[in-house]
Amino acid sequence: MVEYIGEHLWAGQLGHALAIISLVGAGLGTLGFFLGTARNSIEWARLGRIGFRLHSVAVVGIVVTLFTMLFNHWFEYDYVWKHSNLQMPLKFIASCFWEGQEGSFLLWTFWHMVLGNVFIWRSRNGQALAPWESPVMTVISSVQVFLATMLLGIYVGDIRVGSSPFLLIRELPENIGLPWTGMANYLRAIPQFSDGRGLNPLLQNYWMVIHPPTLFLGFASTLIPFAFAIAGLWKGDKRGWIAPALPWTYFGIMILGTGILMGGAWAYEALSFGGFWAWDPVENASLVPWLTLVGAGHLMLVNKRKPTALFSLFLLTLITFILILYSTFLTRSGVLGDTSVHSFTGDGMLPGLLFFLLFFTTLSVMMLLNDRSDRRFFLLLSLVLLVIGIGFRIQVQAILLFGAICIGMLVNAYRNGFASKEPEESLWSREFWLFIGSLVLLLSAVQITFSTSVPVWNLLLEPLSPMFWWLADHTDLAFFRELADARMAPPSEAIQHYNKWQIPFAFIVTLLVAFTQYLRWKDSDLKRFRQQIGISLALSLVLAILGVYFLEYSLMEWQLVLLLFSAIFAIVANALYIPRVLKGRLKNAGASVAHVGFALVLLGALISTSRQNEVSRNTRNMDLRFLSDGFDNSEDILLYRGDTLRMGDHFVHYREKRQEGVNLFYEMDYFSVEPRHYSKGDTVRVGDMLFTALDAHQAGMYFLEDQPTHWDPMENFTRRDLWYASEWTSAKPGSRDFELAPFIQINPRFGNVAEPSTKHWLDRDLYTHVRYADMTMASDTADDSWMPDRLFEKHVGDTIITPSAMAIIDSVYMVKDSVTREMLGERYTVYAARLRVRDLYQRDRWFEAKPLVIYADGQPVMGKAAELESLRIRYSLATVQMDQPPVIGHSGPIPGSGGNTTIGLNIAESEFLVLQAIVFPGINILWIGCVLLFLGTGMAVSQRVAGRSASAGDQ
Amino acid sequence: MKRSHIIAIVIIAVAIGALVGSLYDSSTYADLGQALSNPGKEYHVVGTLDRSQEIVYEPSMNASLTSFSMRDLQGRTCRVHLAKAKPQDLERSERLVLIGEANANGDFEARDMLMKCPSKYNEENKVEG
Repeated sequence: MVEYIGEHLWAGQLGHALAIISLVGAGLGTLGFFLGTARNSIEWARLGRIGFRLHSVAVVGIVVTLFTMLFNHWFEYDYVWKHSNLQMPLKFIASCFWEGQEGSFLLWTFWHMVLGNVFIWRSRNGQALAPWESPVMTVISSVQVFLATMLLGIYVGDIRVGSSPFLLIRELPENIGLPWTGMANYLRAIPQFSDGRGLNPLLQNYWMVIHPPTLFLGFASTLIPFAFAIAGLWKGDKRGWIAPALPWTYFGIMILGTGILMGGAWAYEALSFGGFWAWDPVENASLVPWLTLVGAGHLMLVNKRKPTALFSLFLLTLITFILILYSTFLTRSGVLGDTSVHSFTGDGMLPGLLFFLLFFTTLSVMMLLNDRSDRRFFLLLSLVLLVIGIGFRIQVQAILLFGAICIGMLVNAYRNGFASKEPEESLWSREFWLFIGSLVLLLSAVQITFSTSVPVWNLLLEPLSPMFWWLADHTDLAFFRELADARMAPPSEAIQHYNKWQIPFAFIVTLLVAFTQYLRWKDSDLKRFRQQIGISLALSLVLAILGVYFLEYSLMEWQLVLLLFSAIFAIVANALYIPRVLKGRLKNAGASVAHVGFALVLLGALISTSRQNEVSRNTRNMDLRFLSDGFDNSEDILLYRGDTLRMGDHFVHYREKRQEGVNLFYEMDYFSVEPRHYSKGDTVRVGDMLFTALDAHQAGMYFLEDQPTHWDPMENFTRRDLWYASEWTSAKPGSRDFELAPFIQINPRFGNVAEPSTKHWLDRDLYTHVRYADMTMASDTADDSWMPDRLFEKHVGDTIITPSAMAIIDSVYMVKDSVTREMLGERYTVYAARLRVRDLYQRDRWFEAKPLVIYADGQPVMGKAAELESLRIRYSLATVQMDQPPVIGHSGPIPGSGGNTTIGLNIAESEFLVLQAIVFPGINILWIGCVLLFLGTGMAVSQRVAGRSASAGDQ
Repeated sequence: MKRSHIIAIVIIAVAIGALVGSLYDSSTYADLGQALSNPGKEYHVVGTLDRSQEIVYEPSMNASLTSFSMRDLQGRTCRVHLAKAKPQDLERSERLVLIGEANANGDFEARDMLMKCPSKYNEENKVEG
């Protein structure tokens, strides 16, 4: 046994022990609360509480232990080594904590534990919750059993159960038995252990400190309504759970919504995909449960009053948590594979996560069934399928069959337990439209889930492939062939695909948001309804028409126009609801404020994305020679250092490059655009012609418009005049308005990351980020004002074409005049190349360049480059190889220097960068909406917590 | 017919529409052979960067065009024209997913590309002793 030096073994051992205790505690909790419910026994429930408390202490202990390890940089631990390093600012320790799979599971567990304790605490102090404590806590504890298992990291036979953050690097399976693991002092002897690998630069961002905990708290809070719904079914009280579950549900809506939007803000502020939402699978996975939770929350309001669409309420509540599990499965199990840039890879979590998902799906379906024998039958069937699936290795078929049985069982559950014999609710009742709205939200969630799940479809369709081949052969439809092939990839035009479906859904939802609050429960007086809604409708129509006019929407974009209208309608109607219906009673206004916020988010997203303007597009009107048709549209601007170019409403000037820590900042000044004034007699060049100004005037937008009145073409001019004349421009840079410094974070381990820099105005943002740049910094050996050299091996007479210039190697000769020889001595030989250089943008311009190289004893030692400033190009002579010995004492061209002399010519361009710049109009509408959504939902929660069960519209 | 039945039918119809729509809009994973024999049809092609061939990016000519060679999982290589600025660390990438179509010249024109770099989860602890 080796006595290792410098390890902090106690931390890992403590962590492992605590992980086991947390599992035992959760198990004990489940058992105690279960029997407490089943036998209606306080004693068992007390045991459950003890178990859950034990679990809670253990989870806190695990968190503290892991933080301690990260704070102290104990790099012998794999998790610490993989996710942190010494240079990292302390504030990012938190990000390290949840960067990895294990840490994020721990975070999730932690929030469940906190919510569970709050729940126990509140149910001990409140009569209303007390009967729900045991059944709800049974569900919460059982979820904690699964999560605690995920953190175990122990082996049962060959199968690893979970993944522990407390593994030593030398204990990793791939390292066991390696020679270094036998060294007692390996931590000091092996340099890799002195520092960790550090945090992914994308995550070194303050958003990453607050976004994951918020999002995971949101995920965690969906468990409470789920647990309540199960508890309601279990106890046979299908509606009693709704009132106590309401504040928890709206708390979940608030936190999860905030978490999702924070993710958007993070993407917008720190990532460079150019926007805040990209319908990425990971984003979708968090949005979908929010949609269903919102649907569930609204159906709770309905069913609290009277049973209407109770089945839909259960479906939405249960499916929300199932979707959280499904999201976790999608993003953590590795099934997404190549479809997402930032999904986690498998790490062997797939079976565990799948079992987690299937277990709670089975539980949900089983509990929905009305009578005991049905429940037992379904459970038995599920167990048989599980055994068959694993035993015969036909998991996919088993899952397909399970899915079909679930659907059948749900239909059965609805018909036997929920189908109501009561007359239908009135068409003009609030509950009817709330119900419709919830179903639209469900459909929206279903559509996103379907499209995000394309990789899963491939897996599920594989066993069905013979059937689809048969269909394809008999119908000759390419669609069936694709299904049979089961090699589907996510929609290539993801944004268009999702917008096509989600814009109509958003339209319906915002429309419902606008008018549903004005309807009354049971039935409404239509005359009064029309009066109340009429003014909002009229105002919204006016605003929408103004919007269409000023934002220049065309009728071709009718879907966007409709959404613009409905979002404005929702904002106006809900804002006016507060003074007109609530008479300004703000404490009841939570729903209205949240609805205004929600509609503002949609409106802001609509305007900023549909009217985004890539101002960096096509600013340089270069002919893109040699390119194929698809590539004529450059969306990025190329900016040489010191160059000033027009970009949208500004002139942009690339000033300098500056390094600060690991970040390379590219500093850019933005100048206002001022009209150019010409005075009488000024000469300008337009193409190959020269013009003289007839009078003093201010330049217009286009030369062709100005020309007849202000400019006279010149008849006779020399090439020299043309050369020196300046080009006509309509505007010039004015005062310096602001600067932006997008930067690149240098990270050799994870790859460099470009981060945007954004100028915020009230009505719009200018978002810029570096697409491509040179990353060498000025130092003693490197000059950063040029891009890296490119070497060309050529002969005399050859031509070298570079983007801006064409160089012809005229001649190569030895410089051997007396002055040079005297200065340098006999050891040195100087060669020069004479190049004739043609400007490829103005083909009549020719230059001459004469780079030199000095050889000593047959080796090049120094050179003098030729810089052509107006072409932004530098030629330096690297090597000269002649086929004849140089003629001593002769100056001038080498005799016979034909094609056999080879030179190495280095060509560099001036330093430049490629920038993408997008103007997002109205993006602040979105952020204001986020704040209002948060505040409004918060108001609704506190109103319900305070026990004012009379909701805003109950009067 | 009761109103709830109409609603149920509409819901089911839209749900099926969404399912078919998402499958219909989905692209297809293919290898280069399949993509090249169907020029003009869009595919997702998975492969790796062919490091023996030059990566050409001439921003001063076109800032949104990068050319390189890719080797697909079958080992076939093809010249790729990507309509994007050269991604940071293309050289380091370990896996590429191209989204685009083959053209008539037998080159692949990629509209977009997903790139996986050796990163936190797949790079193993390489500690040598």
